[in-house]
Amino acid sequence: MRANVLMILVLAAGLGAIERPVSAHHGGAAFEMKAPVVLKNATITEFLWINPHPLIKADYKDEKGNLQQWTMELGGIVGAQLVGWTRTTLQVGDVVTLYVWQAKTGALVGRFNKVDFADGTTMRDSQTGADDGSRADTGVRQ
Amino acid sequence: MGKTSTGVLAGLAGVLLLSVLTTAQDKAPRSPWKYYPEDARANVGPGGPAPVRDLIGTWAGESSGAGVKPGIRYENPPPLTALGKQLFDRNKPQSATVLVADTNDPHLRYCDPFGFPRNMNDQIRSMTISTVPNRTFILLAFQTQYREIWTDGRALPTNFSRGADAHDPTYNGYSIGRWEDDYTFVVETTGMDPQTWATETGYPHSVDAHVTERFQRKSKNDLTLTMTMDDPRLYTRQVRMGETYFRWIPSQTFYSTTCIPSSLQRYLKEMADPAGNPSAAR
Repeated sequence: MRANVLMILVLAAGLGAIERPVSAHHGGAAFEMKAPVVLKNATITEFLWINPHPLIKADYKDEKGNLQQWTMELGGIVGAQLVGWTRTTLQVGDVVTLYVWQAKTGALVGRFNKVDFADGTTMRDSQTGADDGSRADTGVRQ
Repeated sequence: MGKTSTGVLAGLAGVLLLSVLTTAQDKAPRSPWKYYPEDARANVGPGGPAPVRDLIGTWAGESSGAGVKPGIRYENPPPLTALGKQLFDRNKPQSATVLVADTNDPHLRYCDPFGFPRNMNDQIRSMTISTVPNRTFILLAFQTQYREIWTDGRALPTNFSRGADAHDPTYNGYSIGRWEDDYTFVVETTGMDPQTWATETGYPHSVDAHVTERFQRKSKNDLTLTMTMDDPRLYTRQVRMGETYFRWIPSQTFYSTTCIPSSLQRYLKEMADPAGNPSAAR
């Protein structure tokens, strides 16, 4: 019993080095965070490296062939840089699979989760990039 | 005994796993031009006694990613007068129920500078403190702002209304500073533009608000800022504005962010407003 308490304390001490998830400072209340929408074979139309949040804009054709024009926001630029993003990580014409936490309003906008590239690599958002929508970085706050 | 050993081993394995992750992170390519919060995070402990009358250098705040502990928030609810409540009720800060699309926060909607004292209690990322013979400057990472604190013995201005000796209010107000003892630097500020909010939660302030900051360097690595605000027109008594903690950044690397109005307008029009309001134009 005492050892179990010790184990918990040791683990807690280690995990304390990694900060707990926090929502983006512009709030996560607007987005449906239960399951991301998957935009397979979406085409990047614009990647805006701007404050307060970079924006990804992409065209996506649904299963009926209807064109959808999506906009999604990343965490802040500094946090994105720390997990490897630059302003040219996505380029116009790139065909990728995007995962996005859609706005509760149903508009074609949302909070970015992750992107799968054609070469099999993945890049995640610093704040909501884990598969459950929690942080995927090393505890960087923005 | 078996369970005991298993428990301890599992705990140690957890620590080892974290050590491996940290080591892997340390081996990642580094650039002297980038900000690495791990630098400050690795700066454990007090680091020795505080130097005498010296705050110079770069400090990481709670939102810097450096693992600085969260501060103590300003008191809530605020002790408002009737006029204070009237002004407070006009402000609609962003919250769990008020989305970016619906707030009237002048920073979130228009890129306006926070102004003082909000810039010392909201988005506390990093700050650099620098001195010249008659002034101390505080350079704030968030929104690339600076504050000018006079240390030449002058008194604060008092007239912000009209006449030859009137002073125009400014976003950061007028500040004077002095050493209270070898480790505590006290800053007093007044004359802040009343259009700005005192906090992200929309606390108002008048132009005659008087804010007192006490920067106490408790060790080489630790700096504590305690703030109070006196504003008798809007508050029935002195307001406790909380406590903020900073940690020394050994590498002295500093990064800043700036809100660009044209970028914010695109962000609001194409992202935040449609996210909060279905009828918002795209």
